[in-house]
Amino acid sequence: MSDSLLLTDSDDPNIDAAIALIDGVSVQRVQTDGLAGAVTEEGVRGVLIESEDPVALRSVVEAAHAAGVPVIVACADDTTRRRAVELKAEEWYRCPATVDEISQRVRSAIARGAPPAQQSADRVERVEYEQMLHDSLTGLPTLPVMIERSRGLFKERGELMVLYLNFVRYSKIEEIYGWEKLDAVLETTAAAVREFLDDTALSTSRVMVSFTNDDDFIFFHIPASGVSAATESEITEMVSRLQRHVGARIEAQHGEEIAALFDIYVGRAHVYYNPKIRLERLIYRGIREAANASRSIEERERARRVADLRASLRDRGVYIDYHPIVVTETRKIFGYEALARGVLRSLRSPEVMFDVAAEADLVWELSRLCRSKAIEGIETRLQPDEVLFLNVDPHDFSDPAFNEDEVKFPERVVIEITERTAIKDYPKFRERLRAFRERGFRFAVDDAGSGYAGLGSIANLEPDFIKLDMSLINAIDTNFIKQNLVETMVKFANDHGAKVIAEGVERADEFKTVGDLGVHFVQGFFLHRPANLPLSATPPRRERQVSARQAP
Amino acid sequence: MNVGKHPAILVVDDNHDNAEIIRQYLEIRGYAVTVAHSGDEALALYERVRPAVVLLDVMMPGRDGWEVCKIMKQHPTLGRTVRVIMVTALDEWQDKREALQLGADDYVEKPFDLPTLAATVERNLAMQRANSA
Repeated sequence: MSDSLLLTDSDDPNIDAAIALIDGVSVQRVQTDGLAGAVTEEGVRGVLIESEDPVALRSVVEAAHAAGVPVIVACADDTTRRRAVELKAEEWYRCPATVDEISQRVRSAIARGAPPAQQSADRVERVEYEQMLHDSLTGLPTLPVMIERSRGLFKERGELMVLYLNFVRYSKIEEIYGWEKLDAVLETTAAAVREFLDDTALSTSRVMVSFTNDDDFIFFHIPASGVSAATESEITEMVSRLQRHVGARIEAQHGEEIAALFDIYVGRAHVYYNPKIRLERLIYRGIREAANASRSIEERERARRVADLRASLRDRGVYIDYHPIVVTETRKIFGYEALARGVLRSLRSPEVMFDVAAEADLVWELSRLCRSKAIEGIETRLQPDEVLFLNVDPHDFSDPAFNEDEVKFPERVVIEITERTAIKDYPKFRERLRAFRERGFRFAVDDAGSGYAGLGSIANLEPDFIKLDMSLINAIDTNFIKQNLVETMVKFANDHGAKVIAEGVERADEFKTVGDLGVHFVQGFFLHRPANLPLSATPPRRERQVSARQAP
Repeated sequence: MNVGKHPAILVVDDNHDNAEIIRQYLEIRGYAVTVAHSGDEALALYERVRPAVVLLDVMMPGRDGWEVCKIMKQHPTLGRTVRVIMVTALDEWQDKREALQLGADDYVEKPFDLPTLAATVERNLAMQRANSA
């Protein structure tokens, strides 16, 4: 056993003493830049690295792991320690360390370096635990880790402020665009939050962030000793800067559609150290208080939006953006999907607008306004051979004001019905569809394939068009299961005399892939963004003003 | 590191014979193949092997292929580039949606012939190379 070696670049005499406690292992000193090369040598059972150079650290860890040799990192500071954990070094300790501590770390690392058969269960468990400590997407520590880290500082300074950042409508992003998109948005958000903290000095205080799996972020703000915590106005100012910063980042990377969905409400709570109460409990109470505060701000904000919506309905404050749908082969515009937007900034996003309407029981009224605005466009903005795709909620069919005679050119309207809404009274619904169909309207199933339901429910609606859900199109060029699903859908459509539309095509590779798969029409930022269409050259008859106000 | 001439492939199958046949077939074609016989073993080997592609049997005792797929895809660094091919029949729309949800990239139906398997591996490797380039 005496031929087992521990390589190290450290001069720490404690290491020699520590290794002397371990049977059959001796120390061999190697320059930092020689470590990576030396790990493959006969008898090497472990590497202990002290260098703070991140490049050296990485290359040593990688070389050692490739050779099946465990690594111990002697960390001079927190940064090195974090790197060690990220690189999955088997062990680490803080310098300076006692002989006992070092020998324990080395012993346990060498034990872990044993063949995987014995240790596999441990390793799996460790991988899992590590994933629990740091959120894999955002790279931020989870709450228990952050509480541990802030413990000492909180005790010493006696005061801690909790900021709870409630990101609303992130679940909506997942629902509409799929989890990959939400993951990407969260990543952007976390990066933006970290960036912001790096640039923001709240005196010399410590600020830490953690991520809850509920898509929210928690800040701990611990004032520097002798300095009082940030004032209300400082915090308010910081929050609004943070909001702008994150919003701008999201818009830059994911477009305004997604940025329009984004909102942060920040609640705060002060916690004072009290030796009689367990520290975790104090902090958790603070977090709860801050979370509640953020929710009550959210409620207030909602009430304001409802007022905005009422005003918009009164003033017909909705305009339409038209998003082209093109023929895949020729890229010629076939028609437009009408997307309603609120004139008021707070109601710009249609999702937000309809959310607010649902809360205030104004869905029919808002739908009527959006519909009449969109239908006006057929005469005033579209070319005579172009078709209008109109989003209609299945619930709208029970609105007596919505009927098959409302529109002058039914053959130029395709009604989009989303697969997401559950339809309650199916026979009645189909009867309504038939009435519309007889007048010449066509139908599209929107968000097709978003659920788990498959093709049966689509067949039930006998659609003329099938609009594939964006989550199937996003990165379809690299995912063969998505390609397979879309292929199935195209075949199904061809068998049933329907046409397939791919929504959310954002990149050339996605465009090419859906084209190869036989998708008939394409819609998405790769070709066009939704935009306001100018009034067409030939002025339509004046009476459209009247017909647009038909709704009671 | 496993870039370059010999891309690393991790084959996970609790059936030793199957795993061995796949290993031999792929090794002849110049891949560096590592075999694991359970989900846990696969996860234990994951960071050492750093596979470009994982061929993952779904039906395994203990941790099944779906769970392994999900954990592999969540890995902070390897999860971004690894391609996971599920070895199972995904007949229903629902199965495929489920597979997407867990992050799978492709699948091969059982029983498969070896050329099909190799073609599937090759197209995923091509994709992996394109993505990490």
